[in-house]
Amino acid sequence: MHPTDPLPRAALWATLTIAIYAGNRALYRRHRAWWLSPILAGPALLCLLAVALRTSYRSYLYGTHWLVALLGPVTVAFAIPIYEHRRLIRESWKLLAAGIVVGCIVSVVSSWLLADLFHLNESIKLSLLPRSMSTPFAMAVSRSIGGAPDLTAVFTAMTGVLGVAVGEGLLYWLPIRSTFARGALFGMGAHGAGVAKAQHLGSEEASSAGLVMVLVGLSNVLIAPWLAKVLHWIRPS
Amino acid sequence: MRYRTHLKLLPQVLLLALFWLVGEGVVRLTHLPLPGSIVGMFLLLGGLLFGAVPLRAVKGGAYLLLAEMLLFFIPAVLVVLDHGEFLGITGLKILILVLVSTMLVMASTGMTVQWLSDRQHRRASTNASH
Repeated sequence: MHPTDPLPRAALWATLTIAIYAGNRALYRRHRAWWLSPILAGPALLCLLAVALRTSYRSYLYGTHWLVALLGPVTVAFAIPIYEHRRLIRESWKLLAAGIVVGCIVSVVSSWLLADLFHLNESIKLSLLPRSMSTPFAMAVSRSIGGAPDLTAVFTAMTGVLGVAVGEGLLYWLPIRSTFARGALFGMGAHGAGVAKAQHLGSEEASSAGLVMVLVGLSNVLIAPWLAKVLHWIRPS
Repeated sequence: MRYRTHLKLLPQVLLLALFWLVGEGVVRLTHLPLPGSIVGMFLLLGGLLFGAVPLRAVKGGAYLLLAEMLLFFIPAVLVVLDHGEFLGITGLKILILVLVSTMLVMASTGMTVQWLSDRQHRRASTNASH
């Protein structure tokens, strides 16, 4: 057995990915620096290792794609927060729906226009559109509108990190006082990372952020087939 | 200690995986334009709402998966290995786009929800004073 054989190599990368993630998480729990976030520091270290060991994305993924497949059961797990918040959904569905519709339209339209302005290519542009939602949903939407799901995972991670970084500043400058609105801002803008941030603001902020995050993902996956048709109609390829 | 509790949740995780597989099966049979995992989620939600699945049979496993979700998409993030151009001007453009767009999304969402809840409160208080 040689370390360049496919099987030991696959086992090596799966082990490294899990070990680096676990180490990164433990470190982040102790030191809450933004650059130690497990979606930034761990992947950056893995990238350096892959470059050093001359491993391509293809052969890295050969050993680790089963981890990505586990996003299936993760998506199913989102049923539990929806079920537990069913009363809040019934009471505040108008606020939730308005925030989500406005947020999604602003997200898709501003990404589209800025991508055109910057002359980004078609694949990057489509992958940027479903960025403002939890990753399993974002990747599913990306696939159905013709983007590249793994690129979308990168942009979604960037959105989470940046959204948390600027969110507090926005709350300082804008007249947003209701706990529900403050939570919605983080849940819509920075999905999972935003929900974690909202937990530090308070329990009401946390539940509105979590609920907005789940419902954004869900509603986008449900309308994605139609969104794909609209995109095709705007720009026949 | 933590690992022992994780191991105890394994049957719950397997139950969630079963819902996912059933969802995939339904999509394959009916050609619904949805991912199988979403169909699985709706099946589980229905099961919970109609009392067919007790919450305690899935809750621990579900929150474990949601808490460790980052691990499952780290491999996808490594696609940047194929995109050397992200280290240059393209990467800078994408960074600016994500930053500006995210700030617009957050501001518009927060302001919309604040404005609507102010309006609801005003309406509630005028109704109360009549």
